[in-house]
Amino acid sequence: MDTIQILLLSVALFGVGAFASLVLNGVSRPARVTAGLIGTIASFIGLVSAIRAGINIPSPLELSSPLPFGHFTLQMDGLSTLLVGMICLLGLAVSLYSISYVGQYTKQNVGLLGFFTNLFIAMMLLVVTVANAFYFLVFWEMMTLASYFLVMFESEKKETVRAGYLYMLIAHAGGTLIMLSFFVFFLTTGSFDFAAFRQADLSPALKDLVFLLALVGFGAKAGMVPLHFWMPPAYSAAPSNAVALMASVMKKTAIYGILRICVDLLGASVLWWGLLVLFFGALSAVLGVLFALVERDIKRILAYSSIENVGIIMMGIGVGMVGVATRQPTVALIGFLAALYHALNHSFFKGLLFLGAGSVDYRIHTRNLNEMGGLGRLMPWTALMFLVGGLSIAAIPPFNGFVSEWFTYQAFFSASNGQDFIVRSFMPLCAVLLAFVGTLSAMVAIKMYSGAFSGPARNEEAGKASEVPASMLSGMAFLAIGCILLGLGAPLIAPYLAGVVADTLNIPATTVASGSWVYPVNIVQGVLSAPLMAVLLLGLLLVPVVLIAVYGDRQAGTRIVNDPWACGYGYSKKMSVSASNFDQPIAVTFNGIYMFRSAAQRLMEAIGSLSKRLNEAIVRVEPVLERIIKDPTTRTVEYVGQHIQALQMGDIRMYCLYIILTLAILLIAVFK
Amino acid sequence: MISTSMFFIGLLQALVILAVAPMFSGFSRVMRAKMHNRRGPGIFQNYRDIIKLMKRQEVISEQAGWVFRATPYITIASMLLIAAILPVFTSRSPFEWVGDLILVIYLYALSRFFFSVSGLDTGSTFGGMGARRELFLSVLIEPVMLMVLFVMALLAGSTNLSVISTKVATGQIPFYTSVWLGMLAFAFASFVEMGKLPFDLAEAEQELQEGPLTEFSGKSLALMKWGIYMKQVVLVALFLAVFLPFGSVTTFSSGLPALFSILLAIVVFFLKVIVFYFIVAVLENAMARVRFLKASAVTWTALGAAILSFVFYLANV
Repeated sequence: MDTIQILLLSVALFGVGAFASLVLNGVSRPARVTAGLIGTIASFIGLVSAIRAGINIPSPLELSSPLPFGHFTLQMDGLSTLLVGMICLLGLAVSLYSISYVGQYTKQNVGLLGFFTNLFIAMMLLVVTVANAFYFLVFWEMMTLASYFLVMFESEKKETVRAGYLYMLIAHAGGTLIMLSFFVFFLTTGSFDFAAFRQADLSPALKDLVFLLALVGFGAKAGMVPLHFWMPPAYSAAPSNAVALMASVMKKTAIYGILRICVDLLGASVLWWGLLVLFFGALSAVLGVLFALVERDIKRILAYSSIENVGIIMMGIGVGMVGVATRQPTVALIGFLAALYHALNHSFFKGLLFLGAGSVDYRIHTRNLNEMGGLGRLMPWTALMFLVGGLSIAAIPPFNGFVSEWFTYQAFFSASNGQDFIVRSFMPLCAVLLAFVGTLSAMVAIKMYSGAFSGPARNEEAGKASEVPASMLSGMAFLAIGCILLGLGAPLIAPYLAGVVADTLNIPATTVASGSWVYPVNIVQGVLSAPLMAVLLLGLLLVPVVLIAVYGDRQAGTRIVNDPWACGYGYSKKMSVSASNFDQPIAVTFNGIYMFRSAAQRLMEAIGSLSKRLNEAIVRVEPVLERIIKDPTTRTVEYVGQHIQALQMGDIRMYCLYIILTLAILLIAVFK
Repeated sequence: MISTSMFFIGLLQALVILAVAPMFSGFSRVMRAKMHNRRGPGIFQNYRDIIKLMKRQEVISEQAGWVFRATPYITIASMLLIAAILPVFTSRSPFEWVGDLILVIYLYALSRFFFSVSGLDTGSTFGGMGARRELFLSVLIEPVMLMVLFVMALLAGSTNLSVISTKVATGQIPFYTSVWLGMLAFAFASFVEMGKLPFDLAEAEQELQEGPLTEFSGKSLALMKWGIYMKQVVLVALFLAVFLPFGSVTTFSSGLPALFSILLAIVVFFLKVIVFYFIVAVLENAMARVRFLKASAVTWTALGAAILSFVFYLANV
């Protein structure tokens, strides 16, 4: 069987899983087991096709198109294959996890959850492999819709409806911009095929336009600041298994879109593009992590932390684009390598952390860190795996997050040695920002871990929790082991990713690893050996063990006491540091940024209430005018009034305005 | 890439730093006592403390998880690994095949991560507050360290500590204004990271009950204290390796001369560390405490100096 046919088989199987789940809707257990198991098998088959495509890139497969808009071509080049692999690996873990997790939704239409989850994965697989803009948009929309229904699953809650509405609006605003960028291509080439787009001879101004449309359109989906605000409400409203997929792989389809359009199709030939991506990356990383730190809801924290990680990925992409524009293939290679590596790692640890948060929610039904605590003793395996995810996200060596951030630092370093003065002055500052973000994200990880798993149980339910079922544990364990292997396996993974980058950029592949070492092309610039480091750390653990064996007294033993020491007073649970006062020093020190955020929120609310009042005024004025002048102008006013009303639903319009303003400013900046 | 002799030099470095770290800390205790006009505990008091603690019964709160139990071991192991990577006795980094300066910075983060979680793990008030402070200071200080090290790496053309240390030792990187400024900022950052005043008092008995150390006892406390002593020496060693690697072995011979030059380098290293500790002790005891939440006002200055050092690097001065 051909590689792409295997992929189609996997997609079809996801479809089967989806409809089986729909048919069994109403009977909880069979529905979730069927959806989960078929999803697992389908993911596995998709993985087989990704591995085959990774070894040997298959030629594109053209299927008969039911619509006249162009060729329904599927391709699995390096970039698409990487994304297919990521989606299937996460699909596997989440499908396994869902088998038990979905069991908590007893009264709802459980079949729908399985239906939309499987459909969602299938659509993501098609989005990243289709090589035609028209079909890309069709699948993109279907992916968005499937994820929208996943967000809206608990639609009886008011905040879920609001979150889903906001998500829908931003996703469609973004989708429209993507559509427009494809339309510019279509106008010049008269075709919807990516292959034709690649040959398109666009004028520089049009290229800039396409770049901006794509960056903003995909950026909205990826959660780039300032288009990130839909993400925390949507992520905290959606079921954890669905949100694990949204945060870890749906975001990456947006990253894929940026890479496909800006780098593959447009060639990333302009320097300021890269710098702009770098700027938004840095902005997202810093603000994302600062906002994450002051949240209490574990899923909102994870949502902001996803924004931060997208920022780090975009910083890598920015460096890569700068490298392409300044004709430094090494810089380009390392930049994109760092970005892809971090994207891969992020999908693992963020998926893991969302599943972990879901496990806690499954047992004690809260997302508020202040109501958890002490779960480490009651849910030891969940705690261990959450810790692995936390160590990875905090870039602690030798876990995977560290390796990709190491490459990001090296990318900044390589770029700092270039000729262009602006590039030389900004790259080291970006490295410093990354260090700042790194320390804060360690703080975020510690806040989540210790809030949920350490210290005393802060409410009754948390004191009675027990370990989650095996299917959930195995889903998490799969991702936790992945986090460790992606770190230790750096000497195998970096060359593979370098090959993907070389394939995308059409440059000769360069070695970035030998033996157990990885290095940023130039071996003098720096080397890293994650496996040796891990072995040495484990080996050096023996030193303190030996010291205790020599000097210690085995008979002294250990005594377990009830409470920690409290200066001789009786200990109370309220004495422990809870999640809400953990971040106080940061909240005080970076007060300015948080104040800016609340000022921006107030401004948006003011705009919202102003237009609401305007709207009300128009409605009130209408009958008066009607009485005075009964002529067609009344109808016009009424017509306008109704249309303004139609536009103005809730406070979302100010976000809309916000997007348009951003775009307008960007456009002005370009054509200036 | 791995040469046997460098491997053993690395292990030697790690073990020597392990062995002498309590002594240097004892030296700073003696210094403080002298400046307070007290007799003080004597330079080897820390060894006696550690050995005594090792033989004591350990008391653990039942809320403590396995992170709390594992932290002492992880702290020591990560410090040993850093000690083996840094160019201490030779201007080449003995374990350069493990990683570069970015790894060194993140190995500190490894020990800090576990240290902080262990403070929160027991649910102790003081442990939790100490953990919070520890992390907050790292947020302010780590960017300073990275900026300075990044500038040094740019001057050397490599993030490999061997290259930086060798180029500084052999004068290939002269002391530009940027290096001086960087050195100043880095010295300040090390001072803060060592847990010295103005924000922290590592041996404080009344304030925060030694932070995350509150709940440790017996052999765990012994190991934690040892780990903290090592962290201080290793920070000084990093500073010396990057800015003042003079006196370490730069040319590699074999046989008896090699042994002799290594021994000489060890002596020189000890002298440098003693001088650093002396200066630190004088500063520490001459200084008033700064309110913790005002720490950022001081560290912004350090970050400013670090960025200025980068600006001078850009301007080639």
